[in-house]
Amino acid sequence: MLRTASLCAVLLWAAYACAGWLTHDYQVWTEEGARRLEVALKPVPLPPVTVEGPGVPARDLRALAGNGREVTIVDFFYTRCVTVCLSLGTTFQQMQAALQRDAKDAHVRLLSISFDGERDTPGDLARYAQRMQADPAWWRFVRVTDAAATQRLLADLRVVVVPNGRGDFEHNAALLVLDAQGRLVRVFDLSEQQLALDYARHLAEGGRL
Amino acid sequence: MIASFSWPRLHRVLPALDWLRRQRVPLALAALALLAWPLRSVLEASMSLHMLVQFPLVIALGCVLAGALPARWRERTQGWNTYGIAGLTACALVLSVLMIPRLLDLALVHPVVAAGKWLALLACGAALQLSWRRAGLVVQGFFLGNVLPMMGVAGQLYQDSPLRLCNAYLLQDQLWLGQALVVLAVAVAVVWIAAAMRSLMRSSQTLPAEAQP
Repeated sequence: MLRTASLCAVLLWAAYACAGWLTHDYQVWTEEGARRLEVALKPVPLPPVTVEGPGVPARDLRALAGNGREVTIVDFFYTRCVTVCLSLGTTFQQMQAALQRDAKDAHVRLLSISFDGERDTPGDLARYAQRMQADPAWWRFVRVTDAAATQRLLADLRVVVVPNGRGDFEHNAALLVLDAQGRLVRVFDLSEQQLALDYARHLAEGGRL
Repeated sequence: MIASFSWPRLHRVLPALDWLRRQRVPLALAALALLAWPLRSVLEASMSLHMLVQFPLVIALGCVLAGALPARWRERTQGWNTYGIAGLTACALVLSVLMIPRLLDLALVHPVVAAGKWLALLACGAALQLSWRRAGLVVQGFFLGNVLPMMGVAGQLYQDSPLRLCNAYLLQDQLWLGQALVVLAVAVAVVWIAAAMRSLMRSSQTLPAEAQP
């Protein structure tokens, strides 16, 4: 019985340790939670990928979002999406309005990146931007120019896109804050729009991470 | 008629079953290889197939492999597994860790986690095989009393969550899995209670005969 009891104790300890590793000491239960925590602990640099869009000639994403001056709030979307991307669009519209109102926000920008670069042409992006009443001074739309680079960008930023079998996608939509050096420093939930905006303003004013 | 139905007779009727029984180790290993390689991407394509088909199949193969261990080895585990307590504890712990949603996502992309998942499932099946009969109704009841409510609650949480718990799987799939986990928990409980009642009624019938000097 003593041997059984000691084996049980070892098993309990092992399971506690495994679950602790899996959940970052019981702080997160999902991969999305772990992603957000890990990004906050260790910023993720953007990979070298070329993007293009309406008003944005093909150039390295790091030059666009990591130019050393502006903090960027990024979302991933595709133009045919009729669910979560629409609410992302509304969120971005509200953030754009807030940025336009306040002159001291000159160093915060919004950027929507399409992950369906094969179908979303620059023309589609321009139409979408128009529908969203995006002001290119604040909010720009781009796609990654080739499929391999798209995969690289999604993998590095841990954006997971799942085709739902009906031609649409489900994806872990979120608000990604990139610092002026083009590093992903925080991932906010869609419901944390104000927090994301305040955090980006704080960074843009020279605040620390 | 049904009561006299027994394994030796079945073997006479179906020699194939006997062959299956004798070849169960190579067959189980072949099935394991099939699951691990060509069928892996199919079974991991959906959350419900992953948890409700792949998990039980690997556990079952662990059971088969442990059942084929030489009697001497099985006896050796007895001292460490009084009344099957250690084995069923191991099973309950493996199942609880495997219900953490992050594990399903990581098992798709992280080879070390994937290997750990497969080993844990095989060990879970082996522990179940080495412990279930030894455990008796009280320990079995305690084990199921912990595992099944946990499974039901996890199923309910999967259904109630408005967000996807796994980045790699669809929301609809999560809903189906949640419903299936609740149904499975209830079904296992019903089957076990029925079997336990039957065995208790049988033992109470034979009790007077045993009590006689």
